[in-house]
Amino acid sequence: MVAVGAALALALAACGGTGGSNSGSGGNGKFNEGNTSVVNASTKTGGTLRIGTASDWDSTDPADTYYGWSWDFIRLYGRALTMFKTVPGKDGLQLVPDLAQNLGQHSADFKTWTYKLKPGVKYEDGTPVRAQDVKYDVERTLDKNTFPDGPTYFGDFLDTKGYSSPYKDKTPGKLGLKAIETPDDNTIVFHLKKAFAGFDYFAMLPATIPVPQAKDTGTNYKLHPVSTGPYKFESYTPGKQLNLVRNTNWDPSTDPNRKQLPDRIQVQIGVNADDLDNRLIAGSADMDIQGLGLGAAAAAKVQSNPNLKKNADSAATARLDYVAISSSVPPFDNVHCRKAVEYATDKQAMQTAYGGPLSGGDIATHLMMPLIPGNQDINPYPSGAGNHGDVAKAKQELQACGKPNGFSTVISARTERTKELNAALALQQGLQKVGIKTEIKKFPTGDYFKLYAGKPEYVKDNGIGLIMMSWGADWPEGFGYLQQIVDSRVIRTAGNTNLGVKDPAVDQLLDKAAVTADTTARGALWAQIDAKVMDDAYIVPFLDEKHLLYRPPTVKNAYVNQGLNGFYDYAQLGVK
Amino acid sequence: MTAPIEVSGSEAEAQPEAVLAGMGGKVEGRSLGQIAWMRLRRDKVAMAGGVVVILLVLMAIFAPLLTSWFGHPTSEFHQDLIDPNLQRPLHGPWHSGISGKYLLGIEPTNGRDIFSRIVYGARISLLIASLATLLSVVIGSTLGIIAGYFGGWVDTLIARAMDVFLAFPLLLFAIALAGVVQGKVFGLSGNGLRIGLLIFIIGFFNWAYIGRIIRGQTLSLREREFVDAARSMGARAPYILFRELLPNLVAPILVYSTLLIPTNILFEAALSYLGVGVNEPTPTWGGMLAQAVPIYSVDPWFMIVPGLAIFITVLAFNLFGDGLRDALDPRAR
Amino acid sequence: MVNFLLRRLLAAIALLIIVSMVTFAIFFLVPRLTGASSADLASRYVGKSAGPQAVHEVEIRLGLNRPVVVQYWDFVKGIVVGAHYDFGPSKVYCAPPCFGYSFINQTPVWPDLLDRLPVTLSLAGGAAVIWLLFGVTTGVISALKRGSAVDRVSMGVALAGVSLPIFFTGLLSLAIFRDHLQWFPGAGTYVGLTQNPATWAANLVLPWVTLAFLQGALYARLTRAGMLETMGEDYIRTARAKGLPERVVITRHALRATLTPVLTIFGIDLGTLLGGAVLTEGTFSLPGLGKFAIDSINNNDLPRVLGVVMIGAFFIVIANLVVDILYAVIDPRVRLS
Repeated sequence: MVAVGAALALALAACGGTGGSNSGSGGNGKFNEGNTSVVNASTKTGGTLRIGTASDWDSTDPADTYYGWSWDFIRLYGRALTMFKTVPGKDGLQLVPDLAQNLGQHSADFKTWTYKLKPGVKYEDGTPVRAQDVKYDVERTLDKNTFPDGPTYFGDFLDTKGYSSPYKDKTPGKLGLKAIETPDDNTIVFHLKKAFAGFDYFAMLPATIPVPQAKDTGTNYKLHPVSTGPYKFESYTPGKQLNLVRNTNWDPSTDPNRKQLPDRIQVQIGVNADDLDNRLIAGSADMDIQGLGLGAAAAAKVQSNPNLKKNADSAATARLDYVAISSSVPPFDNVHCRKAVEYATDKQAMQTAYGGPLSGGDIATHLMMPLIPGNQDINPYPSGAGNHGDVAKAKQELQACGKPNGFSTVISARTERTKELNAALALQQGLQKVGIKTEIKKFPTGDYFKLYAGKPEYVKDNGIGLIMMSWGADWPEGFGYLQQIVDSRVIRTAGNTNLGVKDPAVDQLLDKAAVTADTTARGALWAQIDAKVMDDAYIVPFLDEKHLLYRPPTVKNAYVNQGLNGFYDYAQLGVK
Repeated sequence: MTAPIEVSGSEAEAQPEAVLAGMGGKVEGRSLGQIAWMRLRRDKVAMAGGVVVILLVLMAIFAPLLTSWFGHPTSEFHQDLIDPNLQRPLHGPWHSGISGKYLLGIEPTNGRDIFSRIVYGARISLLIASLATLLSVVIGSTLGIIAGYFGGWVDTLIARAMDVFLAFPLLLFAIALAGVVQGKVFGLSGNGLRIGLLIFIIGFFNWAYIGRIIRGQTLSLREREFVDAARSMGARAPYILFRELLPNLVAPILVYSTLLIPTNILFEAALSYLGVGVNEPTPTWGGMLAQAVPIYSVDPWFMIVPGLAIFITVLAFNLFGDGLRDALDPRAR
Repeated sequence: MVNFLLRRLLAAIALLIIVSMVTFAIFFLVPRLTGASSADLASRYVGKSAGPQAVHEVEIRLGLNRPVVVQYWDFVKGIVVGAHYDFGPSKVYCAPPCFGYSFINQTPVWPDLLDRLPVTLSLAGGAAVIWLLFGVTTGVISALKRGSAVDRVSMGVALAGVSLPIFFTGLLSLAIFRDHLQWFPGAGTYVGLTQNPATWAANLVLPWVTLAFLQGALYARLTRAGMLETMGEDYIRTARAKGLPERVVITRHALRATLTPVLTIFGIDLGTLLGGAVLTEGTFSLPGLGKFAIDSINNNDLPRVLGVVMIGAFFIVIANLVVDILYAVIDPRVRLS
């Protein structure tokens, strides 16, 4: 068997994956250059941008989308009130006005926010954009039966008074929501029920992209959202292909943040992920829109070939991979047993499981990452030499917990997430060293939060002590990142993403941050929350995710936008 | 014999039937076994297959000993031997990590010992395949004999049931079912549940093939003199079924079982490959193949080893099964 | 004959109904047996942070809280007369044959199935031609030259063929012929026949050959065994004794008798493959019915899983029916039984 296998391997590995890789040798980028500057800058127009994606959108409707890459791509055909600055580096974390003339003006109590629209912004059919259309799309997002996928921030913060859907709205123009006023066609006023100083971030959400009520077709609107951006839908076949063409009614003088370089943008949907990697490397595709980075084989290929590596960026994201400890499942009701896990975790092994430093990420020691303003680098539970876990400290904590010989528990992970499963295995073998025995249970990804790990009753009944979790910020700022995973008041009967952080002190700090306008002071509060959660040992962070992105030399103006959570900025790309 | 993997089990339906057709009548008590054994012993290829089968079974049984002598615990990580960026083993030919300590190399990413995982993988493979075969054979033979002997509405009912089972897209169904069942069922959970479930799915949905064959054989047997004789002497149905008919059906059942095992090995491997088999970290050959998929285009070694393990095992069973069939059927020579 | 056809047709329909009932029961009962309530099922179809009220609304709208029998009846009714789905502002009419509605993807199942069918047809059809041609020829030659080197080699290869898992040979062929030799750079991408016939064929060569190798091996073994048995029959001896030339004996008598059962099995095999060559399509990432099934199972998209299993069963039953009828045409005695 060894002999046959050897012969086969010899035949196959003789030129170990270097075949056909010369096509990537053009271009003059450097490795990681896209993280700090625009690569292959160009202002030439024309050509077709060929994009691929392994899976379809959750929805292309601005009221119904929650994917990070979709929020990036949607800027090509929709303009919200505000947006992140389209520049590389730290400046990309700044918000700038988009449809609005300026960032929001707020009342002293942070409960009323007013935006004035820029004059002269038109839809693809030439009709002018009105403030009422912005209101109408926000109303649509409140209808969770029709549009289940989008975020719920407006519903949570607006004083809706029971308003549930424009489709049940009997008022003329269907603008019955009292919490938003439109005194004239260019002004929109939001009334919140609780104070919130960071409302400009909400104004950045696709929910504020205007939708003309006359063109609204409910769930079918996603087939042709009416464009306000530089491109408009030519055709869209869900699951197969999306074609965008230039929007001739887009006026660059109202929009300094976008470019309109390619003539067409073609998105092929449902391309096999490995196949797409190969096409990027061969130059027959320009971009993987999902931005998750190269797969294992392509990553190995690119990293071991300098000619290819110079076209790659290891982009930092605001995504943390961590293990949530269920404080409701014994013995994790005891903080020392939680701390034992903090110390025993073999973070090095888990990093490798996720793809190593370049295509996996950096080892994490606390919740926030450098991308989040206010981040303080703390390491409350040093994990020993080489980050392989501190066995001595862990045993000490086990002693304090009254389980000197360890205990047994269950780890949950998602079936289709290979990296997560590998990390669970790494966690398992790390904990084994201090006598904590674990069984790994796999659950379908789609139901993970609704039926299993995110359902406290299920977690408790099945003794799931350790939950594999991955959390990406909705936007790189403390609120958009932390609130959904540490606020104990968001815990419901099912569908939770806060998997066990219950601390009134944390809740209080969150409230304080919500009314702190000064960004530095607010950042300090987020850091305080971070430290508090770590102190209680509810969460074992192990990786600040990085994605090994590939920008073929065919692509111009590529750079990583930090405000968009580490995707290439799709609203800038060119191909000439 | 490679039934329900992408195939409806064509051989299962036709071949044994065709080959065994002339066999039932020629089964004559003790001499058959001796003749068959003589024939089998002369068939060197079949004997080689048999020897490999025995070795594989021994390997599965003594897996703990073998791994303690030549390997490492199956779920022990050896990441010091892995390149953290490229995630492949640092040493060994073809990035396999082969060395004196790791006979077949180590897995990429986590560095687990491939030799140990192959050895332990044989356990799952053989256990599930043989128990599932047993299940199919028990259900299939029982219902086949009953249908064939009693005839009438009993036969119609059972024959229709067989049709229903044969009309199921088996693999689709198995994946769907294995995916739907989560958590705890009948007090089983974890790998106990997975193994039980796989045995049930593979075994239960396969009984119709053997059922059909045994029914056909019984139909021809029941008209024979010795059955008539027993009946006229006042023997009751159970006696005739199990004392008169069953011994005459041992040969086809035996051949069929031997040929069903490799089919079921492939079936189990397919389910594990598709991610609905036994859970990690328990090693399975199909699971090892699935793990190798993301990197096979650059490092094919990790796909080749489990692939060959499956191939060798299935081949050995097929060789032995073919030989056994030839030995038991005088006309096939 | 008409009577026979009618009887067979009715039997096939009855069979399909039973299969659909069992499938339906399993997919709708098993989750409940394992402790999931109808609210749990409904919660799959609402957004991340829907409250219990929203979940309850969906539960009622999808009828998940009603008895399984009622849900089954609605399913059958949908196939025959179509179904209406009410999603607040937009109402969806799912035309017959309505094989349910995927609430996760918000599309009716049937058009999606139709969409995948050409891929599976291309794969199964192309492979079938190859395996039938090579498998049967090899089997016949082997049988005629029993014991010769040709026989031994081809039966050895055939035995290897049936002993190899298709996902292994598939990956191996991709590694060798696509990645290493770069002969079929497009293998793993499906291009429609009408879009570009040359690319269509080039990209399908590897999956065809991989699938045909396994199947051809089976057919070679089958044909050889059948041929050997036929050659031993009395009527062949009679034909020879009559002084007929060997060529005539083989083609007129032996081959016909051997091929009839082989064709039966061929019909069933093709039927099964048309319902989705799960492993081949998965390995070569061809977006056919089999891949569709796997993806749907992974997404827990029950309406889609149900639809694809039903289609699979449909093809098998139809294949059986066609074979039955062909038999009756060839051999009148069958009609009497």
